[in-house]
Amino acid sequence: MEKQTIDSMVGVLDARMNRQLKQYMDICARCAICKDACHQYVATQDMKYLPARRAELLRQIYRRYFTKAGQFLPALYEAREPDENLMDELYESTYACTGCRRCTYYCPFSIDTGWITSVSKGVLIAAGRGNEMLGQLADAALFKADNMDVFDEIIVNGFKDVVRELEEELGRPVAIPVDKQGADILYVALAGSHSIKPAAVIFDAAGASWTLSKFEAANYGFFFGDPAKAKLIADRFMNEAKRLGVKEVVITECGHAYRVAEMFYEAWAKEKMPFKVRHILEVIDEYIKDGRITVDPKGIAEKVTYHDPCQIGRNGGIYEQPRDIMHAIAPDFVDMTPNRETQWCCGGGGGIVAMEEFNDVRLKSGGKKVEQIKATGAKLLACPCENCRLQIEELSKVHDLGLRIVPVMELVAEALR
Amino acid sequence: MDWFSYLTSGIGVYVALVVFTGGMAWRAWQWSRTPKSPVRLALYPKPKTGPGRFGKLLVDTFAAPQSFKIAPAIMVAALLFHLAALAAFVGHLRLVHEFTPLVAVLGVDGMNTFAAWSGGAAGIIMLVAVLYWLGRRTFGAYKNLSVPEDYLLLALLLGIVLMGDHLRFVGGLHAATYQAWFASLMAFRPAFPAELTSSVTRYALDWHMLFVDAFLIYFPFSKLTHAIGAFATNAVRTGE
Repeated sequence: MEKQTIDSMVGVLDARMNRQLKQYMDICARCAICKDACHQYVATQDMKYLPARRAELLRQIYRRYFTKAGQFLPALYEAREPDENLMDELYESTYACTGCRRCTYYCPFSIDTGWITSVSKGVLIAAGRGNEMLGQLADAALFKADNMDVFDEIIVNGFKDVVRELEEELGRPVAIPVDKQGADILYVALAGSHSIKPAAVIFDAAGASWTLSKFEAANYGFFFGDPAKAKLIADRFMNEAKRLGVKEVVITECGHAYRVAEMFYEAWAKEKMPFKVRHILEVIDEYIKDGRITVDPKGIAEKVTYHDPCQIGRNGGIYEQPRDIMHAIAPDFVDMTPNRETQWCCGGGGGIVAMEEFNDVRLKSGGKKVEQIKATGAKLLACPCENCRLQIEELSKVHDLGLRIVPVMELVAEALR
Repeated sequence: MDWFSYLTSGIGVYVALVVFTGGMAWRAWQWSRTPKSPVRLALYPKPKTGPGRFGKLLVDTFAAPQSFKIAPAIMVAALLFHLAALAAFVGHLRLVHEFTPLVAVLGVDGMNTFAAWSGGAAGIIMLVAVLYWLGRRTFGAYKNLSVPEDYLLLALLLGIVLMGDHLRFVGGLHAATYQAWFASLMAFRPAFPAELTSSVTRYALDWHMLFVDAFLIYFPFSKLTHAIGAFATNAVRTGE
């Protein structure tokens, strides 16, 4: 590889270096306990999907350029200069990782392979080996933000169409406020009406003071592995929230978007936001418990199960609110086994559903989730994450599960009295 | 002392201790001067209070209950090895100073018998654990994950344990002989007592110490820095 490219990669690794990453690089015992935690390794037995191996590839570069020991005795540590072979393996193992952090949960040192792969993505981008599709999707989001004078009318007209659809469905007027100064809530949805309509019905029933963001929650800059772009994409609705003076930003049923907004954004922006960030299911659970909305306890008569998306569960701490909601509306709710912090990743996170080249490993790695769903006997699955839904819908077709997969809030909207 | 004994059981001990202590301090300093991750990397659920988080940190670091659930065999080997190593380390402190209260309870013969059994058990457990790891790393499905560092560390451990077990089971010398050698080390005048000089056991001791010295010197530059690093990384798991 050219020296300039290597310098660029090492520069990115240096810029992304922090105490945790350094410790992850230094202390991994390569015990491979993580092998049975990773849905991709369990499904394929392919070394490049072993979490410790994913980290080891970055460690080889780290050892070579950041440790005296690796420079003095490279053979002992397998420290190496990056070459095309290393970059090929790094690309496959890194962009395939869904960032579910199940390996972190089981690691005796809590080594965060998801975090390590996010840095590896930065190194790949510096080498011109970032995933093209994710990069294009990130750039498209930023293009929209930079050209709002062109897009504003289109977006607002789109929302008006959603209002019309909803009013036809409900047979009564419903408001979807946009740009409402001083609203309590800025609701950040996904592209498409499916994440707007049920929330609008619920906010309406609760008498909430809310306004809909003109920007979607999805953040392909995060999946791409570029924190600067990820921040710019999140800036769009965070700045909107500041401008409107809302009390809280509520993120729709999208795993990574919640984690970006709640866990990462303030650190990236280096400022404390004047509002709090919550997940829509936290808000709905509160509405039910406070009596702001009334739901039919038998509203969902069918047997239903729930999938814990990694980014709001293990990585976000939202376990009980969705279960409390399900118990409030569905008498035949049944949990999967394992669940909560030990649940299996469905295989669709980390942007992998947008990268066709990983279709084989993605579908194979959903095997554990298929087993879990089958074991419940449910044909209805509540799933509060868009990527998980896309993945499980495809798994359902491939494995002929006959599942109906819906957002939790859609079930709540169905069960509203 | 001949030159080999002096190198391994004399000056080598000082060098090893200085490099180990300085190296670990340097490693900790190196970590501490690197800025913390600005983003929150916790795993959920986690305790809400400071004492709760500290308690979980200790449990995660010393017992790793979640690791036991997914990989019981290697975790049992790891736990037994670490406990046996701790017991062996504590037992070696007897060479610095006799455990007087224990001798008062057990008597001199009783103490020697207790040391023989406990030290012997620790030595066997460590040997079995190291052989298990070596086998797992060499013949396991993920041997391609291993790097030469992994084998070097296991080779050093195997050397330490084999020679240590030789001293325990074959050497035939009692603690008092080693205590005299340790006293000379602590007085910065390393020398073997006559009983040791005249015994072939000293070769086993020299090789035991060669492996110990090399192990301690290499420790701060190896993955074994998890001995202190694991506290920091496990703290991130339950962090704010």
